[in-house]
Amino acid sequence: MRMSVPRVGSLHYMVQDFCRRAGIGFVEPPAYRQDTIERGVAASPEHFCFPMKVLIGSAMESLEAGADTLVTVAGYGACRFNYFAELERRILEREGYEFQMIAFDSPRDSVPDFYRNLRAVTRGTSFHLPRVVKELSLVLDKGHVFDEITKKEIAIRALEAEDGAVDRAVRDSRALLADAFSKEEIAGARAAIASRFEEVPLELDRPHVSIGVTGEIMMAIEPYFNLDIERWLARKGAVVERSIYMSDLMTPFGRNPVQGWTDEEMERTADPYLCHEVGGHGQINVAAAVDYARRGFDAIVHFFPFTCLPEVIAKTIFVRLSSELKIPVLSLSIDEQTGRAGMQTRLEALLDLAWTTKRKKGSDHFLHSAAR
Amino acid sequence: MKIGLPRALLFHQYGDCWVSFLDALGLEPVVTDATTGDTVVTGTVYADNESCLPVKVFAGHLLDLKETADVILVPRVISQRPGMKACPKYLGLPDMARALDPDLPPVVAPIMDLSDRRARWVADWHQLALDLGKSRHAAGCAVDTLLGRLRESEERRAPAARGSMPIGVAGHLYNVHDQGASLGLLERLGAMGAEVFTVEQVPGRQVRHQLKTLPRKIKWDFESRIVGAVMHWSRTRSVEGVIYVSSFACGPGSMIGPLLEDQLSRERSVPLMTIILDEHSSEGGLVTRLEAFTDMLRRAPASRGRAARREVDGA
Repeated sequence: MRMSVPRVGSLHYMVQDFCRRAGIGFVEPPAYRQDTIERGVAASPEHFCFPMKVLIGSAMESLEAGADTLVTVAGYGACRFNYFAELERRILEREGYEFQMIAFDSPRDSVPDFYRNLRAVTRGTSFHLPRVVKELSLVLDKGHVFDEITKKEIAIRALEAEDGAVDRAVRDSRALLADAFSKEEIAGARAAIASRFEEVPLELDRPHVSIGVTGEIMMAIEPYFNLDIERWLARKGAVVERSIYMSDLMTPFGRNPVQGWTDEEMERTADPYLCHEVGGHGQINVAAAVDYARRGFDAIVHFFPFTCLPEVIAKTIFVRLSSELKIPVLSLSIDEQTGRAGMQTRLEALLDLAWTTKRKKGSDHFLHSAAR
Repeated sequence: MKIGLPRALLFHQYGDCWVSFLDALGLEPVVTDATTGDTVVTGTVYADNESCLPVKVFAGHLLDLKETADVILVPRVISQRPGMKACPKYLGLPDMARALDPDLPPVVAPIMDLSDRRARWVADWHQLALDLGKSRHAAGCAVDTLLGRLRESEERRAPAARGSMPIGVAGHLYNVHDQGASLGLLERLGAMGAEVFTVEQVPGRQVRHQLKTLPRKIKWDFESRIVGAVMHWSRTRSVEGVIYVSSFACGPGSMIGPLLEDQLSRERSVPLMTIILDEHSSEGGLVTRLEAFTDMLRRAPASRGRAARREVDGA
């Protein structure tokens, strides 16, 4: 079996790690290109959301690169991604590909289905169930460390004293993590990475703004679709925090180690604005936005695919949230027609606003006049 | 006290249940009038531009209530059958309503979760009645009325009849039965000589039976009913053609549309036409497409017959 998974954040990193442990063949999905998008758009129905079109294109590329099994997570609850796996199978079959498709639902929906899928993946390996569970928890641990690197990286890149210092730290950290497999090795790597980041020279008193990045997972995480937002913002002097990490979403029991809050805390934070989950990551993003506003961030950027159901709800709510909590929010909807220049212009406008907000926050005089 | 109810979205399914609940409490329900062009325009201006047409229509109705109602009732429908989920738009609807306009009257959002056989969700409605200043007894009676009406509405079903040209119209209740939103689709089809069948005329048992043949379960309740009904029509050949009505930016609709296309073409079954509604839909465009579809159906059996005759002659 040579399997492939969608390229979203740290997902393929974690699955690749699992495959190495279990001795399963893995085909890394090729990095996104314009061609991926065009092929996906050509093969998909018009009204699929953008990530689905991209994933169809990406699946074609993976299959052509030698994969014979597509493994995918079948979406969160009510969002349209829930039925994507079945349609993806039908579309790719129509295009003439031969493959097997394994779509994982959340074990919360059905434990037997989850187990059956797990068996389908680990068939042909020597792993028995307890071993699979143990290895999966180690893989998750590793995923958390991987995402923590990103979290540190985006928080300090705008403040690095010399160009490329953070990039070097990231490269070293990933190398440290790559060879860690056992529990002790992963803990060791985590400590080594922490001290590696300590060494990065920073200019802490450099003026900067703080920006929160939220949105649908693929648009918010994958740099190809969002102008590589975290680097772009860092170049403009913004310290960045992101609301969503793949390894957090994979973690069971409502824990989110990278983000550092539990699902209950998240729901409580979102409650005044959105008191029910709406599928996808709508509620997480509303909660994150409330959190950013309370912690005094200067602006929020919100990425979502055109007509995304949960994020359109979040966007509607952001209008109210923005005026009540006095924080600028820029919602950017992305699809195959999105132009980079248009996005850049609007982001620049948001940054101007953020700098102004920041300066005004510093001056009491303005606060008084605003209150009046 | 006047309780406002927007005539949109799930009102088309549960509206009379909600009204009877308010009646039982002795509150005055204010239901907005049927959708007009103006409703759609207001909704489009206020609602988020990427919402689907029914949500924009909902926003239009909601703003109609701004002056006339003291409280607006927007129940949060979570699920309609065990193991099923509602579209995210229903789940977040009350929160969206609150975010729409700061000057709106307060929005109350009791939960409705029909997947719960023990109906624990009625506690929310009971509490709502108490919050509106009613006695415990009155609240209990009203909740009983609500549950009774819900049971009745599940059993109610229009008789199916076979006409000269049976056409199945599959789509959400709030699109198909809202003449303002669908530009009078059903009436126009009737005027063209079609016998129109809609999704709710297919018995639930048939729908569930057909759904079992799908490799992956559809978890949206409404959409699973649409798919089950269309598969029933197509496999029993009880209609000559199917018109699938969806709205632009409808999430679940954008998934089952391609599914139906794929399924019906794999089975080489009846013709399927998809009509996507949005606030820009024009009557002219709609009529042209409906005429083309009915003309095609009218000619199809004849041409099939001719082809068969030619084969016989050739042999």
